[in-house]
Amino acid sequence: MSALPNSPLVPAGWQTIGPFFPRTFFNEGDNDLTRIAPTAPPTALGETIILHGHVLQEGGGPCVNAVLEAWQADALGHFRHPLDPGHAKADPAFMGWGRAWTDAEGHFEFRTIIPGSFADTSGPRAPHINLGILGSGIMRRLCTTVFFPQHAAANTADPVLAVLPAELRPLLLAQPDGERDGLRVFRFPVLLRGEPHEETPFFLD
Amino acid sequence: MPDALPDLFAPYDEHTQPQVPIQHYAGTYTRNPRRPPFRRPVTRTELTGPLDLSAKLHPGDINLAETNGKPAQGQLIYVTGRILDEDSRPVAGALVEMWQANAAGRYFNPLDQRDAPLDPNFIGNGRCQTDATGRYGFFTIKPGAYPVPNSNKWWRPPHIHFSILGPSSLSRLVTQMYFPGDPLNAVDLLLLSIADREAQQRLISSHIPTQQIEGEWLGFQHNMVVRGRHATPPL
Ligand SMILES: [Fe+2]
Repeated sequence: MSALPNSPLVPAGWQTIGPFFPRTFFNEGDNDLTRIAPTAPPTALGETIILHGHVLQEGGGPCVNAVLEAWQADALGHFRHPLDPGHAKADPAFMGWGRAWTDAEGHFEFRTIIPGSFADTSGPRAPHINLGILGSGIMRRLCTTVFFPQHAAANTADPVLAVLPAELRPLLLAQPDGERDGLRVFRFPVLLRGEPHEETPFFLD
Repeated sequence: MPDALPDLFAPYDEHTQPQVPIQHYAGTYTRNPRRPPFRRPVTRTELTGPLDLSAKLHPGDINLAETNGKPAQGQLIYVTGRILDEDSRPVAGALVEMWQANAAGRYFNPLDQRDAPLDPNFIGNGRCQTDATGRYGFFTIKPGAYPVPNSNKWWRPPHIHFSILGPSSLSRLVTQMYFPGDPLNAVDLLLLSIADREAQQRLISSHIPTQQIEGEWLGFQHNMVVRGRHATPPL
């Protein structure tokens, strides 16, 4: 395993999680980004929302036992990570990471907050949530990003959304889906494989 | 302040990564997009990742070989290795999750409906956090091989599933570890989905000489490299 300087090691090959990712890995609250631990109080910063949807495969059937991992900035657009120059200002009560799995209907659900926007070296990032999707037969993580329709001006300027052809951008907008327990609900449907106008756009990992 | 975190992430070399679809694996046909992925700029969201995940994903399940003090069936093994980045630097504090079939090749997961015995003393999943040298370790039993349904006799070789989180969103890795010398390795369709032969071989663990292991465990060594370099290389 020894390597000369400037002779990098090669990252390991990805493999699928297969059909049997353990249900026992999931704890209560894993899909709740608003808490840093299951017993911690939720963050007081930001608007709490429900983000849910179905993961479907080619033909429209459900993708069962898929794993979705979410990562996002806090309400003011900060990450608790040293590579964020503003990390000292990040909300200490916000985890920003969550994991959900899909049931027999392919349904998943997260509880989180609307993330803040921030200025990145690549351009102004609109409020967004990165999703990584794992599942049986998915050999490498599928990466997509959720944007919000109420931030239309910010979305227009977002440097990541901009790499998509204009006609595909609406596929990455979460759809307002009513209210539950006083929280706004957003729906983000995922189609892993389908016709070009309906297949979810994914980004190179 | 830890060592400088990786901040340089080049795309994977396609030859070292699995290509789809894979014959006899229906999900690889229906669950992978037709459209090639879009290349995006690497922004702060991709560079960062949760560094305090252990508050949520609790480490500490490192002995899978017994449940409630009762021993699992099978050959006792100890699997250990280091998580390194592309600059050969140890990844300290990474969360390492693993899951596997029992000695008869059956998963505890209720979705595994194969007609092979379940072992009441074997659940088969573990989670730990790497130490300052990037090392992880699990005490477990050697998983059995199992046939893939409707596959014209494709048997998965004994393998352990691994999931590694940290320190960046882009250093996420999900992979499988195989055992040295198993004849099923050379014909496994998942291993063969990686074109580069050396990359295939890197997913196969190596024996640790028996004299180097305390207790009655057969040792297997398996390092895993996650993506990420530091823009200013070490001197
Ligand atoms: Fe497996």
